[in-house]
Amino acid sequence: METLDRTRRVKDILWVCVFAGLLAMLFRFIFGLGATTNLDDHVPWGLWKIFNMVGGAALATSGFTIGFLGHVLHIKPFDRLVKPAILVAFLGYGSSLFALLFDIGLPWRFWHPFVFWNPHSFLFEVFWCVSFYFLVTFFELSPSLLERTRMTRLQHSLKKAAPWLVVIGITLSSLHHTSLGSLFLVTPQRLHVLWYSPMISLLFIISAMGGGMMLLGLIKLLYHWWYTPGELIVGIQRKQSMVCATDPESATDGEPASASPLREVRALAIAGSVVLTLYLILKLADLLLRPEASSALFEGTWESWLFLSEMLIATVLPIGLIFSQRVRHSANGLAFVCGLGASGLALNRMNVGIFGYFRDAGEVYFPSLIEWAITVGVLAMAGLAFFFIVEQFSIFTNHRKPVSDTQLALGSSFDRLTRVWNHRLLTGFERVTLIALIVLPISWWLLYPPYWPETPEPVSPPLALDSERDTLRIDANRNGYEVLFAHAEHRQRLGTETSCTSCHHLTLPGDQATPCSHCHVAMEERSPLFDHDHHTAAVAAAEQFHGLQPENQSCACCHTLGAYHAASTAKGCLECHREDMHPVDPPDDPNGLMHASSYHSAMHQTCIECHRKEKEAAGRPDLDRCTTCHQPMPGFKPRPEEGEKLDAASSLVELAAKKRGL
Amino acid sequence: MRTWIDLAMGPLFAVTFLFMLIGLLRHLIQQLDTLFRRKAGRLRHMPWRKMARDSLGWVVPIRHLTSGNVLFSNSSFIFHIGAILVPLFYAGHIALWEKLFAVSLPALSATVADTLTIITILALLVLLASRLGNTKLRTINRSSDTAVLIVVLLPFLTGFFAAHPTMNPLPWQAMFLMHLLSAELLFVLVPLTKLSHIVLFFFDRISEMHWQLKPGAGDRVAETLFGKGAKI
Repeated sequence: METLDRTRRVKDILWVCVFAGLLAMLFRFIFGLGATTNLDDHVPWGLWKIFNMVGGAALATSGFTIGFLGHVLHIKPFDRLVKPAILVAFLGYGSSLFALLFDIGLPWRFWHPFVFWNPHSFLFEVFWCVSFYFLVTFFELSPSLLERTRMTRLQHSLKKAAPWLVVIGITLSSLHHTSLGSLFLVTPQRLHVLWYSPMISLLFIISAMGGGMMLLGLIKLLYHWWYTPGELIVGIQRKQSMVCATDPESATDGEPASASPLREVRALAIAGSVVLTLYLILKLADLLLRPEASSALFEGTWESWLFLSEMLIATVLPIGLIFSQRVRHSANGLAFVCGLGASGLALNRMNVGIFGYFRDAGEVYFPSLIEWAITVGVLAMAGLAFFFIVEQFSIFTNHRKPVSDTQLALGSSFDRLTRVWNHRLLTGFERVTLIALIVLPISWWLLYPPYWPETPEPVSPPLALDSERDTLRIDANRNGYEVLFAHAEHRQRLGTETSCTSCHHLTLPGDQATPCSHCHVAMEERSPLFDHDHHTAAVAAAEQFHGLQPENQSCACCHTLGAYHAASTAKGCLECHREDMHPVDPPDDPNGLMHASSYHSAMHQTCIECHRKEKEAAGRPDLDRCTTCHQPMPGFKPRPEEGEKLDAASSLVELAAKKRGL
Repeated sequence: MRTWIDLAMGPLFAVTFLFMLIGLLRHLIQQLDTLFRRKAGRLRHMPWRKMARDSLGWVVPIRHLTSGNVLFSNSSFIFHIGAILVPLFYAGHIALWEKLFAVSLPALSATVADTLTIITILALLVLLASRLGNTKLRTINRSSDTAVLIVVLLPFLTGFFAAHPTMNPLPWQAMFLMHLLSAELLFVLVPLTKLSHIVLFFFDRISEMHWQLKPGAGDRVAETLFGKGAKI
């Protein structure tokens, strides 16, 4: 009963993550990568690729290392661990590939690498190996899954093929783990010198082998803690009796010593530490051979501290702790060592892929909530699949223990939240639907992208904003790239007083020439023009309404009473404002003035349309080109045309003015 | 005020509406689970025809309207007509359904919607008065029954005033916000209270439990009424 309660609580937490993750996956497909992630052109990959894919594949290496030790070398405690290791590999690679589906821009083309080969790409090789290795782990796992069926012949042939599958698995694994490391070799300018090593591919596969064993040890301990906590206690008691060595006979009776799960975990932790020691030696040699790296080690930068703590967590601490006999013989101690090794490996991959990588991006990458939700959701799905498989099939034990959900409510169950009596419902089912009921609405609020819009880039009004200045400096982004607009020259040329309306198509009520940036406030988004609250108050004041709530009487001035009140059924703006807003070429749609277009498109439409019309008349075919208005980038020298000499400071506007003889 | 209205129209609406939808779906799944998994053995022996007749008898309750507490049952029936039609087919709500589910429903004309709303409000007031005034009803009345009636009354009342600004005693925005919030309170309460009979009604005759009766209560009543071995 107690063990069921333990898994129940863990499963509940996993279900919470799964539901939030499912919603996040839906939003990622509907709204796309840009709206749901904090990735951009400078930071093209993030949590999904590095944590789920690179880290996930690294942590799942135990499938081939333990397969090699157990199935090929037949070393004693490891042969019992092959099945759990393969399950971990299956779930690890499965969740990596599943998470990748959300990371790639066009997910429905996930099969393209199979058909359209690009043999020059490391990622092509990685994708092939990872997907085939996933298949291999599936075949390796299938005898356990088929145990409950009657397909004995299929089971037999699968078992016969097992050693060959292990060999294929080892080949594929070592190929793609080294390739994942080699991937970073092509970007020496991005990866920090501490991690950028010519032998990074070797470091990748060796650290993955060590950390993978540690993770398997942790999972094994967790399994026994959840399902058979008695066995862990038996193991500890036997150890104590052996340490006391009062009676050597008593230690051997009862279960054989090899049955103790603690012994297997200990073997895993020791083997993992041996591999990690090799990794540590290689790492030190790498640092010594590259003087630029060893000098960066104690620079006190953010990267150097990260590197040192990574080495401490991933190698020094687990290796040091495993020498202690107390740690080796306690479940908690072993769990701590294994947890350190596994999380150190994950930290290493995050350092290489994100923390030590995006230094030159010029921005700090922090994953969005949707990225976290999908990352955690995918892992939670793998966790639930783990629970399902170990409960239904014999993975950790040789005989299947039917774990029946004995917490069936007897006769009937009372749903406390909804106060409804149900007939004999499974507690699990009730709880899962209840979790969905609570988690889905809340995660909708937290994750739905339109609720959390990015603040639109504001537009600053042009400098020199008055009619007396000759030239306006339009630098809407305030980023140093500007358009010099010869306002006075345009005004003069197009007919002084009457020319204003050729560009200024609408003003504020009562104004004569409203600056563009007054209505076109956002750089790329359209912005609302109509202020409902202001209008109700202004109309009520103007019409001198009386009564309890005079403002409520004003509705009928624009809306038809009794009909549905919305912008589409209200009066058009120009029905009242035709005189005082000086509209030029007003839109046919009465609601066309509800929103102002983005500053970007407003400027371009106004200028380019006119320039396009006038280029024939002016005899200047380049009038509607970008460079006619936009200043060249700093340091860029335009090509002199037809014998005309240009000094670097002169602008194209001046050039145009010169050409026209002004 | 504008921020509050935006909040109530955006995230709060989505959260409460989703809560209602998922909560009702959960009831539905649990009922189907009960029906087909747990009661599968009994399905063959169920008096389907009688059950269908009984259920339909409550949809077109001619029999129930002329006997017993006539005022109470009639106003309950009339209330249900308005309670189903106005929220779904009022012109202002049609735009909402179009935005949410991309379905366009035919709209009630303004006069019909107004009349139905007033009738519904009156029917609700009658129900409330009978629950508190009638001795028999008061004895079986729970405080939650009264509370549910008031929670249902609020959106109709505030909605009527929001649609008729000239009669509105409060500023229009305040009334509109109250309409939104009261509707959202209703959404949250639907799966948690006896209002869940929106879905559970259809399982009424099968699972005899949507009024929060204990399992088997119907059988026990039948046994008392018709002798041992009688099933509903």
